Amino acid sequence: MPLEGLRGKRALITGAASGIGSSVRKRFQAEGVQVFATDIHQTGGLIVADLTDADDIEKLSAEVGTPDFVINVAGGPVAPSRSETLPSLPKSNVVLEDIDELQWAAVIAANLTSAFLVCKEFAPRMKARKGGRIVNFASIAARRGSDRVGVHYAAAKGGIIALTKTLALELGPFGITVNAIAPGFIATPRIEQSAWGRSSPEAHRAFLEAIPLRRAGKPDDISGVVAMLCSEAGGYVSGATIDVNGGLYFGP
Amino acid sequence: MKTAVVTGAAKPDSIGHEVAVRLQKEGMQVVVLDLYEEGFASLPGAQCIKCDVSDPAAVEGAFASLKEVHVLVNCVGGSWEITKDDLRAGPRRGFRGLTNCSLEDWNAIRGANLDSVFYCCRAAAPLLRKQGGAVVNVSSVAARKGIPPGAEGSSGPYAVAKAGVMGLTRQLALELGSAGVRVNCVAPGVIASGRLKKVQAVTAKGAGPEGPLKQIPMGRVGTVAETAALIVALCSDDTSYLTGVTIDINGASYAA
Repeated sequence: MPLEGLRGKRALITGAASGIGSSVRKRFQAEGVQVFATDIHQTGGLIVADLTDADDIEKLSAEVGTPDFVINVAGGPVAPSRSETLPSLPKSNVVLEDIDELQWAAVIAANLTSAFLVCKEFAPRMKARKGGRIVNFASIAARRGSDRVGVHYAAAKGGIIALTKTLALELGPFGITVNAIAPGFIATPRIEQSAWGRSSPEAHRAFLEAIPLRRAGKPDDISGVVAMLCSEAGGYVSGATIDVNGGLYFGP
Repeated sequence: MKTAVVTGAAKPDSIGHEVAVRLQKEGMQVVVLDLYEEGFASLPGAQCIKCDVSDPAAVEGAFASLKEVHVLVNCVGGSWEITKDDLRAGPRRGFRGLTNCSLEDWNAIRGANLDSVFYCCRAAAPLLRKQGGAVVNVSSVAARKGIPPGAEGSSGPYAVAKAGVMGLTRQLALELGSAGVRVNCVAPGVIASGRLKKVQAVTAKGAGPEGPLKQIPMGRVGTVAETAALIVALCSDDTSYLTGVTIDINGASYAA
């Protein structure tokens, strides 16, 4: 059954070129949502924008108008650049000594500043219309820590959780809900290409066995939760961070 | 046809009732366990069984008649109208915390809100394991932040029992995950159910939007429809990778 409250709405999805963002885009289109999809990575039908650049956000904003849903998927443990828009993930765990100041700043910008700038651009219009849904992307790395992704990514995603709670308070009086999803191990194409989680086939099997649902997540497992939060079911949910990880971590 | 068991669904204008109606619309055979017989006629098509879910023998008896269970939603709960004797009594006046709580109240409130969930999950587990499925438990924002001294309509034991429901959810998620059974929880804040109206009628609070609503950033109470929609979503494939999780639904009044 189609979810109540989605058909005919307008959604902005960032980071929509691949993985989770691409899955959200397809799900929304299937539900009859008018989708404005953006990514720094140029691929069919997307609005190309670097969300850490105010000029790009302004151009995006002119094209999108006032969305009902803002889905901030853009981000990742390695910051993209205009020359390398879909950077591959490291082959091994990222430790403190691997991260220089430039990488720190770039990962914070790609994951946290981007969401801040997008909210800052679109929330005033949603306020004027007295309604809307914002879904941000945190990570299990922020919820329970991670030995893989590096402190820059974990810290940026922790920032997303705080930004989400604060915006929920600020925008609640205007009928806007703000929530975060904290995915666990989701087998996106980029994750699949990297060596994360499979130092050996045995280690990877053991890793998956430790997940209560005994499997890695799929991008569609995440887009279902996004759709839920934008539907009638999400009408009174705000300020929440929802852990979608197969039971690997239950939340605070 | 899939079978869903919903406890605490017989009273019209309750979250459980709306969940039962919506699961029927999703094409499921719904079985209701409740003591409130007068409400059974309001759920045409559902199999309503009179059952005190805080009584383990009664729960075992009710589940013994079921061949399969795909979904279990534990909605029974509250601080009053929870036992055979006070089922139609209305809210009790005065603040009931822990320090002024009788053992009788403690047992009754814990029995209805926490023991019942244990009994129903234990009875349903073998049937759920057969093919996989979903369990949704209903906790409360009270589990997150307690009941402030002086507040009427709820109780201290209720806050404690509802926190127990979150713990039970996590434990069960670990035990049933490998069988493809997901176990999740919702923690509602103030929801405009029939029960809230009864509290407001006797405490005369909430006549206007002042008071409690001021503490809710969204400036309104939640609806039964929104809460039921969230519970139904937790039974659906949209949440296929969620387990052990509690989703707070409280209008941004408390972020865990």
